[in-house]
Amino acid sequence: MMSNILKRFSTAGKISVFLITLVCFMAIFAPLLTKHPWNQPTGDALEPPSKAHILGTDDLGIDLWSQICYGARNSIAVGIGTALTACLLGTALGIIAGYCGGIPDLVISAVIDVLTAIPGLPLMIAAGAFFGPSIKNIILILSILSWAMPARIIRSKIISLKQEMYIKAAQGYGAGFSYITIKHFLPRIFPLSATSFIRLISKAIVSEASLSFLGLGDPTSKSWGLILNYALNFPGIYFTDYWKWWLVYPLLCIILLVLSTAVIGREFEKILDTKISSVV
Amino acid sequence: MKYQKAIRYLLTFFCIITLNFFLPRIMPGDPFYFLSSEQGEITITYSQEEIQRQKAYYGLDVPVLTQYGRYLKNIIKGDLGYSIYFNNDVRLIIKNRIPWSVSLVLLSVIIGGFIGTLLGCLSAWYRRGVLDKALYSLMIILSEIPAFLIGILFLLFLAARQGLFPLSGGMKPFAEYVSWSSRFLDIALHGFLPALTLAVVQMGGFYLIARNSMITVMSKDYMTTAKAKGLSTRRILFRHALTNAALPIVTRAFYSLGQAVGGTILVENVFKYPGLGLLMRQAVMVRDYPLIQGIFLTVTFFVIIMNLAADIIYKKLDPRII
Repeated sequence: MMSNILKRFSTAGKISVFLITLVCFMAIFAPLLTKHPWNQPTGDALEPPSKAHILGTDDLGIDLWSQICYGARNSIAVGIGTALTACLLGTALGIIAGYCGGIPDLVISAVIDVLTAIPGLPLMIAAGAFFGPSIKNIILILSILSWAMPARIIRSKIISLKQEMYIKAAQGYGAGFSYITIKHFLPRIFPLSATSFIRLISKAIVSEASLSFLGLGDPTSKSWGLILNYALNFPGIYFTDYWKWWLVYPLLCIILLVLSTAVIGREFEKILDTKISSVV
Repeated sequence: MKYQKAIRYLLTFFCIITLNFFLPRIMPGDPFYFLSSEQGEITITYSQEEIQRQKAYYGLDVPVLTQYGRYLKNIIKGDLGYSIYFNNDVRLIIKNRIPWSVSLVLLSVIIGGFIGTLLGCLSAWYRRGVLDKALYSLMIILSEIPAFLIGILFLLFLAARQGLFPLSGGMKPFAEYVSWSSRFLDIALHGFLPALTLAVVQMGGFYLIARNSMITVMSKDYMTTAKAKGLSTRRILFRHALTNAALPIVTRAFYSLGQAVGGTILVENVFKYPGLGLLMRQAVMVRDYPLIQGIFLTVTFFVIIMNLAADIIYKKLDPRII
């Protein structure tokens, strides 16, 4: 199924898949791809790119290529961790709300309504400030804030599926909730879950970069947003040549990663015919 | 069903106020431990009596429900507490920063909405042409890139490299203005890049809505009539099509006012623009909890009220919506 989807991707989609594979490759094989540690100085401060440090060093003399490779791990971890948690939770609650109706539906729908009305970033900042910045906390907060999107879509899909004859027939034969869910619902809502999964990855990566940029990232594991934060806090970054490597590379990495996940999300929507990007 | 939306908004307000109350109370750690330690080492220890006195002073010696009641009463009175770091009323501090942020949000939605709608109309008119395809791809890309990254690029190339705009701040520090107009010019010059950054991000959404809406309108019979009458392109586009396609765009504008807040917080920090976003970061850096809570409450209320406005306007403009 996946290879079929991949074949139908446009050129931009294929390039995006290639870029994301590249980032995943960087993240997984970071120890093999880098000769310098990501958290210790190995050269002079602010060296321009050279043979020893292919992307140069920052103000503490730490190799930037290493920081970017290991930083990819954090961005990918936050992206996939959040999307997976939120998607599983959203799918489960969406099915329960849609299938059971009544009080469970009322409660879950109310929570979805409230969560979608609260603006994400201010709450993330407040929560990050109160609970302390760590990768685990960031994933937790982001998951809690983002499961409502898949849950809402899946709930309405289940409600319409419930009206179909074959579900009624299955119920008539005595099929229970778990049987219908596994046999009938999951295959039908898989495209919806997959599309929201990819959408959530790109949202989570942006949110993590934003939080890190505000200084609420995990200081013990350097993500791309945190490199940006350090670079921008360096006095005179704009007036010296340092921005050419210190600022440009992490910036480029984030933009490319965010754009490629967004493009893949759109391709999925087009191919699986699941329009979920909400514009009012 | 009629009251469902109203109940939803009331519930949301209630949840946010409650969440704001519980945030510091479910936070890991003890404030007295926090106060008496410095960089992991305990330097001063409070005696039991002192802790009791402090708790009574902050109203922490009564049951949680009573605390909650007091908190609600304060919120209704508009009292947001006292900032530890700035040594001032949270409400006053926030009040001073609001004009900066609100003008930034307003300006960016107006600029972004205007340009986005214009391009959307063009795109719909030349549908499936080269211009349409190019604009569509460009707008999709622009709407996906986070605002603060675009802000950094603008700052780097337009302000630092070219020196066209001031690097940071809301106005020149310690400037003596000769006249009202020079003061206005200075503020406009400082606000231009942050507003432009946010406008660029807003544009994509407006463009997509306007394009969609225009395409729907253009398939209507009265458009064919207008074309058959031999009216000019401009007249057809802006008099006949746009007025009928405006409803979703206007709704989008109000919705955008709320949505722009997240981007504004970040962009203000890129340009060190003296609004609520910069204040929030400062408050986070010095862990000024009452101030963080105050800003969180203000910003969230603003967003929800804007969403509410979008809902109401949508209903007012289109009687078909129940």
